[in-house]
Amino acid sequence: MSSILQYGQIWPYLPSLAAGAWLSLQIAFLAFCGGLLIGTAGAAALSFGGPVLRRIVRSYVTFFTNTPQLVQIYFLYFALPDAGILLSSYAAVLIGMTLNAGAYLTDIQRAGFESVRANEMEAAEVLGFSRLQQIQFVILPHVARVLFPSLSNQYILMTLGTSMAAVFGVEELTGRAFNINSQTFRSIEVFTVTAGFYIAITLVASVILGLIGRFAFRARMRII
Amino acid sequence: MLARTRSWLAIALGAMFALGSGNAEARTLDEIIKSGSIKVGVNPTLVPLGKFDEKNEIAGFDVDYATEIAKMLGVKLEVVQVGSPDRIPFVQSGKIDFVMGAMTRNPERAKVIDFTLPVHTEVFGILTTEAKPFKDWKELNTESVTLVQVRGTTPIKFITDNLPKAKITQLDNYPDVIRALAQGRGDAMLDVVDFVGEHMNKHKDVKWKVLAEKPVDVYFCGLGIAKTSTGLKDWLNVAIFELARRGKTDEMWLKWFGIPMLYPTGVGPAF
Repeated sequence: MSSILQYGQIWPYLPSLAAGAWLSLQIAFLAFCGGLLIGTAGAAALSFGGPVLRRIVRSYVTFFTNTPQLVQIYFLYFALPDAGILLSSYAAVLIGMTLNAGAYLTDIQRAGFESVRANEMEAAEVLGFSRLQQIQFVILPHVARVLFPSLSNQYILMTLGTSMAAVFGVEELTGRAFNINSQTFRSIEVFTVTAGFYIAITLVASVILGLIGRFAFRARMRII
Repeated sequence: MLARTRSWLAIALGAMFALGSGNAEARTLDEIIKSGSIKVGVNPTLVPLGKFDEKNEIAGFDVDYATEIAKMLGVKLEVVQVGSPDRIPFVQSGKIDFVMGAMTRNPERAKVIDFTLPVHTEVFGILTTEAKPFKDWKELNTESVTLVQVRGTTPIKFITDNLPKAKITQLDNYPDVIRALAQGRGDAMLDVVDFVGEHMNKHKDVKWKVLAEKPVDVYFCGLGIAKTSTGLKDWLNVAIFELARRGKTDEMWLKWFGIPMLYPTGVGPAF
């Protein structure tokens, strides 16, 4: 135990870490998709909804963007059972992250909705675009182009945020790293390898998202 | 104390102190009485044996116990902070007259320091609830059992070696683990049960059950003394027996641990 950087001791645990990374990726992806749905509905409600609905959505966004995500999941995991609702570790983390993402994505998408100028819509109408064509050729490319960089940033942040799941007994990447660290006491090695895994999964996501953004939505995005 | 492996701070501090220790000799009983004070090592990371109170002073079962000892000896008590790796060197070098902090007696340690009679025990075993049918820890080796444990503690290794079929949910700290058990998120916990009494008491509606008759292991913790401290051990044994006989030990234990000692020390008049 005298020398440092004994990566050989960590080697046998790589498959376990990889499985953890896969779980992290899965949680982030599912929560992001759920959040995107909530966010789209929320942004639409803020842009087109009545005053009561707008107030409700705004309270939701304010609440979830101004409280720590850890506390939100803690509430779901440990406080809800007192009300008779027993969520599993995985469910609590997933629901908590989805609700949190929904709040942030509502805010992000609202900005996108607002970025479509009235005269652009008028121009489309003058050119004889149908409603569907307006959405397809004016609103969507516009929104996508404006929003795509912030959406992919949010996705990366959420991937990193999955490390919180370890606190609630989900054996994702960080949880497994803690376990291996407590067995081998090779802290530097374990956590550098873990950081490598996080970089890998976020980098892969960035590249894919960047390519989609650049070619599908013509967003000005740096691939790396 | 088996379960607390995460006291890296104590290890770092211990290394610092160990470097500074000189070649002083351990004191005899006579020298301690003449000096008018006794120096006792307490580990403040082993709550509730030792902890820092609101005034940032070390308090806990060990401090109360040492206070009683000092009173009986008629000297002043001087509490010295120790960590797990430095406590035995501290005793050998005479920086402290005896050490507390869950000093589990074992033949390896007894080669380098002397032990008194056990002051208390620690049960490494199963905490579960009345609703569960378990009688013996070996019954937990099935896939239908979920053990709730603190992440990164030593019992995890024991479970993967000896109860490989049981599922493990690992949470961040002891209050969370006890709450998860209380909420029915798992069947049992395998750890040193004495130390979670305080958390167990917070869930009053839960009927806790400790498999104390069939524990995985019991640790007998005595006071650690230098082999050269002439007369000290004999006097301490008399004092320990007196404190146990008068019920003082149990009283202090209940005060700090919130539950009675799970396994009796069996200290008798003959030693």
